[in-house]
Amino acid sequence: MVPTRTRTVTKWVNVPLLVSVALLLLYGSVMVQSATSGMSAGDAMFRRHLLGIGLGLVGMLIAWFVDLSKLKGWLGPLVIFNALLIISPRIPGLGASAKGATSWLEIAGIRLFQPSEPAKFVTIVVMAIVISQYKGRVEQPKDLARILAFLALPLGLILLQPDLGTGMVFVAITAGMLLIGGVRPRWIVAMGLVAAVAVVGVLALDSTLDRAFDRDVALQDYQKNRLLVFIDPSLDPSGAGYNLAQSKIAIGSGELTGKGLGSGTQSNLNFLPERHTDFIFSVLGEELGFLGGVLLLGLYLGLLISALEISASARDLYGSLLAAGLISMWTFQIMVNVGMTIGLMPITGIPLPFMSFGSSFMITNLVGTGMLLSVWARRIGV
Amino acid sequence: MATFREDLKGRYAVLGIVILLVLGSLLVRLWSMQVLSGAQYSAQADDNRVREITIDAPRGRILDRNGTPLVENRPALAVSVAPTAKDDPDLLYRLSTLLDMPVAEIEERVSSQREEALRPRVVAVDVSDEVVAYLAEHEAEYPGVEIQTLPVRMYPSGSLAAHVIGYTGEVSEDQLKLPEFQGYALGDIVGKTGAERQFESVLQGDKGYRRIEVDAAGRPRRIIEEAEPIPGSDVLLTIDAEVQSVAEEALLRALADAHADEFPNAAAAAAVALDVRTGEVLAMASYPTYDPEVFLGGISQDDWEALNAKSSEYPLTNRTIMAQYPTASTQKAFTGLAGLEHGVTREWAQYYCPGKWTEMGEQWPKWCWDHGGHGTISFHQGVVESCDTVFYEIGYEFYKQGDEKLQKYFREFGFGSLTGIDLPGEVDGRVPDAQWKTEFNENYPEYQKWLPGDTVNISIGQGDFLATPMQVAAAYAGIANGGAIMRPHVLSEVLDSKGDPVRVAEPQVAIEADVTPANLGVMTRALLDVTESGTGASAFRGFGASVAGKTGTAEVAGKDDYAWFAAFAPAQDPQYAVSVVIEQGGHGGAVAGPAAREILASLLGLPVEHVRAQDISR
Repeated sequence: MVPTRTRTVTKWVNVPLLVSVALLLLYGSVMVQSATSGMSAGDAMFRRHLLGIGLGLVGMLIAWFVDLSKLKGWLGPLVIFNALLIISPRIPGLGASAKGATSWLEIAGIRLFQPSEPAKFVTIVVMAIVISQYKGRVEQPKDLARILAFLALPLGLILLQPDLGTGMVFVAITAGMLLIGGVRPRWIVAMGLVAAVAVVGVLALDSTLDRAFDRDVALQDYQKNRLLVFIDPSLDPSGAGYNLAQSKIAIGSGELTGKGLGSGTQSNLNFLPERHTDFIFSVLGEELGFLGGVLLLGLYLGLLISALEISASARDLYGSLLAAGLISMWTFQIMVNVGMTIGLMPITGIPLPFMSFGSSFMITNLVGTGMLLSVWARRIGV
Repeated sequence: MATFREDLKGRYAVLGIVILLVLGSLLVRLWSMQVLSGAQYSAQADDNRVREITIDAPRGRILDRNGTPLVENRPALAVSVAPTAKDDPDLLYRLSTLLDMPVAEIEERVSSQREEALRPRVVAVDVSDEVVAYLAEHEAEYPGVEIQTLPVRMYPSGSLAAHVIGYTGEVSEDQLKLPEFQGYALGDIVGKTGAERQFESVLQGDKGYRRIEVDAAGRPRRIIEEAEPIPGSDVLLTIDAEVQSVAEEALLRALADAHADEFPNAAAAAAVALDVRTGEVLAMASYPTYDPEVFLGGISQDDWEALNAKSSEYPLTNRTIMAQYPTASTQKAFTGLAGLEHGVTREWAQYYCPGKWTEMGEQWPKWCWDHGGHGTISFHQGVVESCDTVFYEIGYEFYKQGDEKLQKYFREFGFGSLTGIDLPGEVDGRVPDAQWKTEFNENYPEYQKWLPGDTVNISIGQGDFLATPMQVAAAYAGIANGGAIMRPHVLSEVLDSKGDPVRVAEPQVAIEADVTPANLGVMTRALLDVTESGTGASAFRGFGASVAGKTGTAEVAGKDDYAWFAAFAPAQDPQYAVSVVIEQGGHGGAVAGPAAREILASLLGLPVEHVRAQDISR
């Protein structure tokens, strides 16, 4: 038997998870400070980053103390709430546009947050409720079809924004949850193949539609450009390929130990675009080198393995699925974000969990952490 | 409740493996980029941020012997345009209207690949105040367009001594291949001709540079490293601006005299003044001349064509060293000295001039310029009156003795070889001999044989004999200097930034001619009488110093006669030698003599007076 006091603490707290998250928040703050220090409104941005962490910690505490299994009976309202959340920026008087997508909720001229961020964990809850209903055995095609129908609604709405990045996150979340939820592995592989064919097909179809209607019908040109440039960066080195090339130069030139915090030439001389948000990893790679990258990946490993432990020790399949959804979300975002900065993935607007500047995103990640702690606190055998 | 956990055990493992695969592949990629290829990426990052801009060094000045500037630098207002403007056709069009230049020319200059990427391209030099004011007021409408101050060449005395100083221009690609131009880059301004070219290495100075860090927009952030340019050294020439000016004006007056004497084709001339003891060139005039200003900022095509047209008489040619002429009777001084040295003649040897000389046979008659004949005449008087018959006799005797002694003697006074003057483009003239004639008529065997008439012709500076005005002046200086011919030179000193000499040109003996003081005395007395009572007397009447000189009137096929005068003065204590040639100007004593008189007057500090003279000799 472990001593009582320790038992009380570990009952509520998964220490490795909380330590990993705390160190990631610290690491991220240091990098955002470095990245924004040379910008004209850098100090204000850094304060907003810290505010996002503060609000996120509040959200984390709330999620932690809520018994998430209470939400199981709210499937209908949650589905409707999720849909409203996603389309809210489209409602006249509420939305604001940035970078070709209408993704901000704005009331009376004040930008509040990006509704697609809370929609991520609402989607996780909805999918967990639905998948857990099959008790780990999704063997009938109609069962799978029903599950996918619950994905189709938020996914369709988010693609209409259009926000391809968040849509892909939804897909990744669902894929991870289906794996834990008991879907036949060969179905998952088959769905992966269908998705790949679909992407190619959509690209081809979209070009045809664009030509037929002589305007951007579905996918925006910049989205297609990003994909094409990823395949061949020399296509347009000063346009879409420029970001990729500059990011690779930044990271590569960091070499083993980096140029030192605040001394990155690629970042401080503005060769790196979006360096405090999507390309924060490029700043890290340039200024702290390979060792800094290893440290970050180590912290992520700590985060994800603790989350996996939480998933495996959840009281029920529902809790396990919640954790699996968060693991999938983070793993996918880390892979896509770091991958795009080093040329392994196409350039998308997906930020780096706990690191990138952006308060909505920070709150999502911390609420997700709170959800994990909630599952942990109500695990089996406590 | 353990059912689902047991069932799904393997699935947690799969999720764990996916996590490890994702993080692992990112790690491998980072290792490859940052550790294995880090150095290449670092080089690319430096390429991104570091720009090097060279700073041109101001060129050294060119001064006359008294320190009067012939070439200086002045700040010129220039319009420069950022290279990015080439993609803005509207901007180029508006600039074209503002600067009154064709759009194509502006575009060509802006998109020039001959300069560093970041350096603004100079589009127009010496723009008007109105343009400067307009651009200053409408800065926002002309992005990347700047008013720059550039050091450009300035010629305070206009075209004075233009051929000596030469002009500047952009270094050519051929020049860049030479070892001398190592370290130069396309677009650099270098000396193209004259002293600018000859003393390029000291005038040029050392370029400075500035390594600057720029941001992504190309805006400079800070200077990483810089070195100030070291200005080029000043060059002090031996030219005396005042004498030079007199020489150039004297040529103009001589051409006017020739026109008055009914030689309307006279359009080109040259004059040289030397210090006989040092070889210093005090004046070097060539007509027609040009305005070196036209080369500033690149000469226009029209100007270049005008300067090289056949009708222009080629103003860019420095006739004193780049043109060769038959020297006519001025050559008699050297034929005479050859005769004296080889015992062919003596000061008072007697000759008979019948006007028509038939010693080589009745079928080969030669005429003295005085068809009536000089009758009985001494060698001395033959020089004074320029009697051709006396020199036909001497030349014929040299032919009969064989061994080309006359030609060898001419060469002893520097004819047929470069004087070695420190200016580019000198030609060596021609002392014809049997070997030359064979080679020259390679395809005409019937003309290859050296004939008596060939030696007779060159004895009076005709036939195939050619020399430059510089060679003639240097040879006369040799007579004046006891047979030692000094290498003519225009460089006096190279000055450092404080004006102290760092290099001083020392006088050099080019050739010691084989001649006795006694024979030099014989020739000097005869040459003195030329200006006292002979063919040059009319030009030098009332002159305040004794002058030893010789007139010449050269026959050139298809042209009017070329007028020559060569001299040194004062005859007893020679200081200066002068040669003058007026192309198609007629008789030497009539037009070239008065020009030589004015130049000598200026050299000796005598009043410069223009006289009209008569001479009918050849």
